[in-house]
Amino acid sequence: MPNNPPKRSRVAILGTVALILMSVLTVRVWFLQTVDVEGLQERVREVRTRTVKLTPERGRIFDIRGRVVATNERILTITLDRRIIQRDLARQQMWDRLYGVLGTTIQELENRFQSKRYNQLQPVPLKEDVSEDLVMFLRERAEDYPGIDVREDWHREYPYAPVASHVVGFLGAIKEGELEMYRNLGYDPDARVGQFGVEQTYESVLRGEPGFVKYEVNSRGRILRQLDRREPIPGNDVQLTIDLQMQQFAEQALQTQLRVRQRTEAPTVLKDGEPDPAYPPITYYKAPAGSVVLLNHATGEVKAMASYPNFDNRWFNAGITGEKFAQLFPNTKDPDGSILVNRAISGRYNLGSSFKPFVAYAALASGQLPGGADYTLRDEGTYKLESIPDERCQLNVKCVFKNANCGNGAPCKYGRVHIEDALAVSSDVFFYKIGEQIFTERGNTPVLEQEVRKFGFGSPTEIDLPYEFVGTVPNRELKKRLAEAGAISKDEGRGFYVGDNVQFSIGQGLLSATPLQVAVAYATLGNGGTVLRPKVVRAIWAPGTPLSNKSTIDLQKGVVVQDMSTPELVRVLPMESEIRDPIVKGLTRVINGPGVSFDFYHATTGEKLFQSYPKRVLPIAGKTGTAQGFGNLPWNDSSAFGAFSLTDAQPYSAFAYLEKSGFGSRAAAPVVKCLFTALAKRVKLPAIVPSDPLDLNMVTPAAEQMMENPLCLVGAGSSVRD
Amino acid sequence: MSIPLLTRRPGQGLGNVRRSYADPSRNIDWILMIAVALQTVIGVFMVYSATRPRLINSGQDEFMVVQRQIVFILFAIIAMVGVMAVDYGRLRGNAEFFYVVTQVLLVLVLVSGAVRGGARLSFDLGIISVQPSEIAKFTVLLVLAGFLADDATEVVSYERFIQSLLIVGLPVLLVLVEPDLGSATVLVAAAMGVLLVAGARIKYIVLVTSLAVVSMAAAVVGGVVKDYQVRRVIAFLNQNAETASLQNVLRQVRFAKRAVATGGITGKGYLNGPLTNGQFIPVQSTDFVFSAVGEQFGLIGCGIVITLLAVILWRVFRIARMAKDRLGLYLCAGVFTMVLWQSFQNIGMTLGITPVSGVPLPFVSYGGSHTVAFTAMVGLVQNVHMRRFR
Repeated sequence: MPNNPPKRSRVAILGTVALILMSVLTVRVWFLQTVDVEGLQERVREVRTRTVKLTPERGRIFDIRGRVVATNERILTITLDRRIIQRDLARQQMWDRLYGVLGTTIQELENRFQSKRYNQLQPVPLKEDVSEDLVMFLRERAEDYPGIDVREDWHREYPYAPVASHVVGFLGAIKEGELEMYRNLGYDPDARVGQFGVEQTYESVLRGEPGFVKYEVNSRGRILRQLDRREPIPGNDVQLTIDLQMQQFAEQALQTQLRVRQRTEAPTVLKDGEPDPAYPPITYYKAPAGSVVLLNHATGEVKAMASYPNFDNRWFNAGITGEKFAQLFPNTKDPDGSILVNRAISGRYNLGSSFKPFVAYAALASGQLPGGADYTLRDEGTYKLESIPDERCQLNVKCVFKNANCGNGAPCKYGRVHIEDALAVSSDVFFYKIGEQIFTERGNTPVLEQEVRKFGFGSPTEIDLPYEFVGTVPNRELKKRLAEAGAISKDEGRGFYVGDNVQFSIGQGLLSATPLQVAVAYATLGNGGTVLRPKVVRAIWAPGTPLSNKSTIDLQKGVVVQDMSTPELVRVLPMESEIRDPIVKGLTRVINGPGVSFDFYHATTGEKLFQSYPKRVLPIAGKTGTAQGFGNLPWNDSSAFGAFSLTDAQPYSAFAYLEKSGFGSRAAAPVVKCLFTALAKRVKLPAIVPSDPLDLNMVTPAAEQMMENPLCLVGAGSSVRD
Repeated sequence: MSIPLLTRRPGQGLGNVRRSYADPSRNIDWILMIAVALQTVIGVFMVYSATRPRLINSGQDEFMVVQRQIVFILFAIIAMVGVMAVDYGRLRGNAEFFYVVTQVLLVLVLVSGAVRGGARLSFDLGIISVQPSEIAKFTVLLVLAGFLADDATEVVSYERFIQSLLIVGLPVLLVLVEPDLGSATVLVAAAMGVLLVAGARIKYIVLVTSLAVVSMAAAVVGGVVKDYQVRRVIAFLNQNAETASLQNVLRQVRFAKRAVATGGITGKGYLNGPLTNGQFIPVQSTDFVFSAVGEQFGLIGCGIVITLLAVILWRVFRIARMAKDRLGLYLCAGVFTMVLWQSFQNIGMTLGITPVSGVPLPFVSYGGSHTVAFTAMVGLVQNVHMRRFR
């Protein structure tokens, strides 16, 4: 050995270090492979593949004759792979390069990237509905725009918007609270789903089955090969019961009539025979809103359903800003102004005298009137409750109820009337008596409530549209509930009294119903006692039915998947001719006259208006109603009119309700008159043409729809408020 | 008839020297040799497995990379035999020359090296590329060991310790600038190993090691080092972070960990690793080769690789203790430290216990420079073993 041997003990330190490090490695390998393996095993499979969803084409919606009201257009969407822009710097650079090309802003791109709306595992959609040219531009410069891709999407089109927009509905982003539900149904969080109308109720039918492509990918997300592919199954088409031409006509008639009423003076409020100085001398009707329903009372199919204010359902996929949307659809507390409400099914309305036919039914069917249709009563213009002693009447209980005024400031007196007359001239006194006695003579039992409920009041019609209002029928529970909610005073809520039933009998008080409910009730009178479930969809069709021309489906070549045209009976009411005939006769006299003569001739409420109506072609029966509004002021009167045809060839019923528009015979009745005139083919329905492209600068939610020829609205209304 | 080679030439030595038990050619450590050879063979198979799918997918010859690796191994064998043939004392005599050449190469690579992944690490010479930092591992060790062996005292004096640090410091600095953090730490570790064995005060060694760690941390925090290196370290410290900018690094490690974990006891079988064959793990054939072993051969495969590594270290350790002089001892200590630290760093990052640094696994990973460098180091150790008697 050479001199001065090295100090070998130090080598041992190195050896120890080596032992420690090797042990660490061994233990770690053992731990990973035997202990930690379960947690890590599962993830292996999912990361090796990438699944791209293929959106199915949404089913189309067309009217009863095949006119397409909702269809789809293929659009191209520019997307960007998230991995490319994970680093802030890379993202900024990408936005700088892209925003000009895409015609958007950096902020907007960044918002889309950050948004939780889009699937975080899928590429971010940067801009929808881009041109082929732009796609070519980006594809040619793929090196400058890494990660950019193009996806084919569907864009919903409503060729005839805003016609039938309340019925057809629209698509929207999934609401916060429904996210979980839709996720369970296999929707992406950024999917657009039906949010109104048929688009909402038939979402599951229209949606179709999404397909997918499964790719094997490498760690950079580059596609190596296609593993699996399932083509999407397009959604089924939906055929409405709506006749688009009639629908358009109904909407035009409604809008035109509201416009007319807005230019009409309401009666002056008189005080001691002079104009009341507390109010402006001239007030125009506000006539802000209204709705009309026309349905076939043999089948329950809705032929037209209009609601105003209406909207253009193309706004919802026009990609407008939040401010623009707020400008178009102000979030107003004023019920007159709400737009995204289908008043025909969601309006909660007092009915006034248009409710009387059902009270008449209740009286006849329950045997309340001795002698039935022949029972008479002397109408002296006022009615004093017989069940309440005079002493109490002098205190604070309202005992005396009046008829409407007959022009001269005094309540109308109709003399001796039977039920047919009472309906024809709308005698309140007759119905006050029914209202009192049907209550007091039966031990304060809710007979009236039970009878009118048979027509569907107070229960949903179960129409296939969302957001239907159930309606209310006055009774003890309702009063109690309203008192608890603070809508009426605690004293009021204590019980259900005879006075309530008297109000109930002329359609005032706590009674409320939707126009559709009333239309169904009139239809029940029209068809002789069958309550039908109303519907707006006739059939579900297999996808792919060809078009016969540019915008109409060739129904001959299609396949019906599910036929829903069979009438659905909710209930059959006993309605023998002893019961039905007096009611129908009374209501026919409302249209045709004659009224009653007492002191002078009292015309029926509709007699003058319907003079110009072709009664022989399509005989109808109807009833006006004027619902008192706030403060019982004339300009707060809402106008109602219900009618049904008397022929089996054209079994239609209609109901119109125009808010704050005046007497029933003046505002609502002309609209219904127009619809029946059209059914009688005495008005040429305007042709239905695809609408102009949506004007994004428009400040109203929908373009105006006015009648070309408003002649059918014209006619003298009754001067009696009823 | 006699074969001239086997007969003694007149006037050379006493009797048949080649038959002596002390003959260098009779004193090769075959256990070390076989362990290295086995590890290298495993490496060849793993490199093939790890590169095959990508080559097939890009339409290239699936054997392209592994063929190159075999060529590198042939070069490495030549280098090793060359190193073994010359007495390490004489090698030490030329150490300064090698050292200077290495420094020049390290400077040159900064100027004209090929850029890969943001760093200039290698010269691109057409089919092969040369990494001066790997060569530096060999030459720096030689110079340092020689320098320390010159002084035959028990304790390394303060001046000599500082001088040693300067010898190592210059190449470390150049490697850091490239930047190749992993190789720099390997150089530092080797120097510490040699200094430790040479008798430097343990206080100094601990101090320098901590300084290295602290300055590296400071560099990370201070942003001197490149962005991706910072991310690697931050990612190591939060392996479950959700931060988008860390995902790239984290994904590598997660996939590597998963690959090892899902191998289980026996592995999924050769060429049957969905993760390591599916290109999820970048630089699969070099930095993350261990994950391929883990996925395809499981605990058993990992055990074999680690055991072979342990055998190599054990033999080097043994040779260090048997070395006839200080130089031999120091060389072995340096090789021991380098193999140990680099292997630990490489396997550790695959298993998620050390930060991601681009050091290859000795003898196993794909790559010409490090294969040649480490095989040459084995040759150096063999050299010490062969000539331990005279």
